[in-house]
Amino acid sequence: MPIQPASQPSGTPAIQEDRLPQPAAEPDSAASSGSRSETPAAPDRAAQPARKLHPLVDLHVDRSAFEELERRIERNGPWDDWSLYQMAWEAEEARRVADFHELQCLRLLPGFTPLPHQTETARRVLYEMRGRAILADEVGLGKTIEAGLVLKEYLVRGLVRRALILVPASLVLQWVRELNGKFGIPAVAHKKMYHWEHDIVVASMDTAKREPHRSFLHGSEYDMLIIDEAHKLKNKKTGNYQFVSDLRKKYCLLLTATPVQNDLSELYNLITLLKPGQLGGEGEFAANFVVGRRVAKNEDKLQEALGQVMIRNRRSDGGLEFTKRTVTNVPLRLSPDEQALYDGVTQYVRQHAQAERGDLASMLSLVTLQREVCSSRDAVFLTLINLSKKIPPDSPLHARIWELVELIRSIQANTKAEATMKLVENIGEKVIVFTEYRATQEYLLRYFKEHGLSAVPYRGGMNRGKKDWMMDLFRRRAQVLVATEAGGEGINLQFCHHIVNFDLPWNPMRVEQRIGRVHRLGQTEDVRIFNLCTLGTIEEHILHLLHEKINMFETVIGELDEIVERIEREESLERRLAKMLLESADERELRSRIDGLGDALLQTRNQRQRE
Amino acid sequence: MNAKQVQRFVISYLEATGSSIIEKSPTHVTVKLSPEADRALTNRPYYWSFVDRTGAEPETMTFRWSFVHPSEAELSGPEAARDGQAGAQPQVQPQAGTQPAAGMPMPLLQNGPRVIRDDVYFGSRRLDQIFESVRQFGRCVTMFEEPPKRTGVGPLGSVPYTAWLGVNFKVGYECDMKREELYGWGISLATGVIDEAFLERVRERRLTPKLPPNVHLLPNGLSLRKAMAQLEHALERKLKAADFQWAAEAEERRLDELARLEAYYRPMIDQAEEGEPKEALRARLKQRSEEIDWQYRPRVTMSVMNCGLFHLPGIG
Repeated sequence: MPIQPASQPSGTPAIQEDRLPQPAAEPDSAASSGSRSETPAAPDRAAQPARKLHPLVDLHVDRSAFEELERRIERNGPWDDWSLYQMAWEAEEARRVADFHELQCLRLLPGFTPLPHQTETARRVLYEMRGRAILADEVGLGKTIEAGLVLKEYLVRGLVRRALILVPASLVLQWVRELNGKFGIPAVAHKKMYHWEHDIVVASMDTAKREPHRSFLHGSEYDMLIIDEAHKLKNKKTGNYQFVSDLRKKYCLLLTATPVQNDLSELYNLITLLKPGQLGGEGEFAANFVVGRRVAKNEDKLQEALGQVMIRNRRSDGGLEFTKRTVTNVPLRLSPDEQALYDGVTQYVRQHAQAERGDLASMLSLVTLQREVCSSRDAVFLTLINLSKKIPPDSPLHARIWELVELIRSIQANTKAEATMKLVENIGEKVIVFTEYRATQEYLLRYFKEHGLSAVPYRGGMNRGKKDWMMDLFRRRAQVLVATEAGGEGINLQFCHHIVNFDLPWNPMRVEQRIGRVHRLGQTEDVRIFNLCTLGTIEEHILHLLHEKINMFETVIGELDEIVERIEREESLERRLAKMLLESADERELRSRIDGLGDALLQTRNQRQRE
Repeated sequence: MNAKQVQRFVISYLEATGSSIIEKSPTHVTVKLSPEADRALTNRPYYWSFVDRTGAEPETMTFRWSFVHPSEAELSGPEAARDGQAGAQPQVQPQAGTQPAAGMPMPLLQNGPRVIRDDVYFGSRRLDQIFESVRQFGRCVTMFEEPPKRTGVGPLGSVPYTAWLGVNFKVGYECDMKREELYGWGISLATGVIDEAFLERVRERRLTPKLPPNVHLLPNGLSLRKAMAQLEHALERKLKAADFQWAAEAEERRLDELARLEAYYRPMIDQAEEGEPKEALRARLKQRSEEIDWQYRPRVTMSVMNCGLFHLPGIG
């Protein structure tokens, strides 16, 4: 028997049965003790339809407890305990929702106090948006918490009994844990068909939309539907979109961290799921608001219409207390062996960039070679081997590649790894080391182990259980976490406040994601960031762009995602940088072109702020 | 309910269900549940159906319930609280499934039964369960007031008692939001007099489930059903006199929303090809409209939480 949420009021079954096609018997009656008949007399209810209390308001009466009294009088008992009788009143009194407006759920949350912007968001969803909203906070501000608050409030008020929560498969267990642990909401992860019978189910979108689940869900009604990563529903021709739009729901929350307002038609589709017609009919919308695909007109009006269905809290809004970030760049000189390899690879890249001109994909992979040399010989080795496999066996290129491999062989030490080791020893506390490359990660783990430093790996490909295990090991045992990816939403590492960027991603968003894992709400210490940078290499230019030009380490750039997205409308940052690198005649030209890109980013930010 | 109130409530529950308290402190209680409480709280329907079928001696479960609110427990340091939370999770999750005991840590009492630890605070799953159990097993009573001590009645005399129907109502005002009120009313089956403070009145009396000696029950002037109908109508009259502004506002929202849907779908329906496309859009509009109705339509529910027959001294 599933445990009923506390909130289910005694009266609701009678009312909901009128409307809800219930797949199972009311769990309430199943829960009652065997000998006592608890089934409300259905024919009676049919004989006494709802009556008018007011021209607008029907009165529904549920007198099943009285009918029970009559039956027991007839049979002369059995009678319940007098103190339990009084306690039933006491319990109802304690749980009573005395007021339409005051948030009830706050007094029911054990050991956790939501942040002001989260409570405020819940309030607005409940009282202004009436339970249908897009929650579009920037990453790390707690959309899940906001959704949990709204759900809890409706549960407490008895307005929601059945809720369906659709999320990416990798987040299912995390949602279940969060709802149970933080909110005391008895959510279950969907695994088997019978799990649908539970009141509150978290399932992956991919499962839910497949048969036989699909038919079951379309035959049900949900008091509340929550969809995480809802930006995946932006295209109305997709199966996901059709599936969701056929679900029957009362309240609905769509969660997304991607700034959907950059593409107007996608935004329109998302809102149509929630509130068809909020932005007018399709034609009207196009006429009133759209100039180009991403260009809006009547921005004020559009924002107003959006404000009625969407909440987007930003880090830059203020009122949110973040600790400081301090940044230290650690300039390093490559050892002669390493430098020889770097020069060899650079030469190789330049020669072949000429040959491959026009073929962007292979140009990009050439640049990758250069970046990898700056990270570790292991990383570049793997790529070289893969490269040689693609080349026809009789090509003279093989000889060139093997020359480079020979250079790799002669390298005995990794300058950066040694520097990292020293850094970690000086810090003496927990440290996360980020690298872009899997091979570097493995090398570092080996290297740390040889030097008696406890380190654990973390990467995107790990399954959820393994990720959790690694997190746990890092928290309790290991001093160092070597991670290849910052993503994997919802990983909170607030207990650590030192980051070493062993190498840097080229996209500022990815850098921000790395830092955001640690520098987030709940972090109590200032966050220290160390950037390892090999002088005279491509790394120096990238660090110059990210650190000196746009100063992204020390300050949180508000709406960075939106800025980058605008810049990337024509071409991705990585590609632009790669092109600059290959096309520049010398270092000076490269520097000035990179500066130009930095200026463009800053300009976009200023423009955005003016808007 | 603060921690003290929760504790008092839980102890009363344990006493009322005849559970045996092994030890307690100001912040916790260790208890071996009675069969009645075990059936209600441990989520073991298969075990109990086994006991019922075979007549085996039931072995009930033992709990150690802490009444310290987790927010206060956290003061012992964030690290400890995090660990505590992580430890508490396996206890929480199995409750949601059908296999309660699986995966729960079960520390052992020395030479005793296994004891399951649990935090009980307002908002916790355990307290909700107890609330639910109280709701089920405190539903219908018949009570008699202890007769006044030999006042004015000779040893052979008998005190006249009147029967009252006491009903506790919960009234829910619902639209997209909700508010509730409770009414503990009673009606005399002799005269039809309604007492709006009936529950408060009987709570102060000394009541017993057994008919006391030297007492005689007066005949009822009103059938139980009639009395109930009168009580309901009286309450309904009271509710009718209330302010319905909330309902008017909800109705306005509902009509607004319906108009928005109509404006969105109507042109699409008009332009759609006859036959299936048109019908599909019509169905979609109907579905969306029903959702709006479900969300906003103002309604009031009046439900009987529990009720009982109360025999009180006096005439009327």
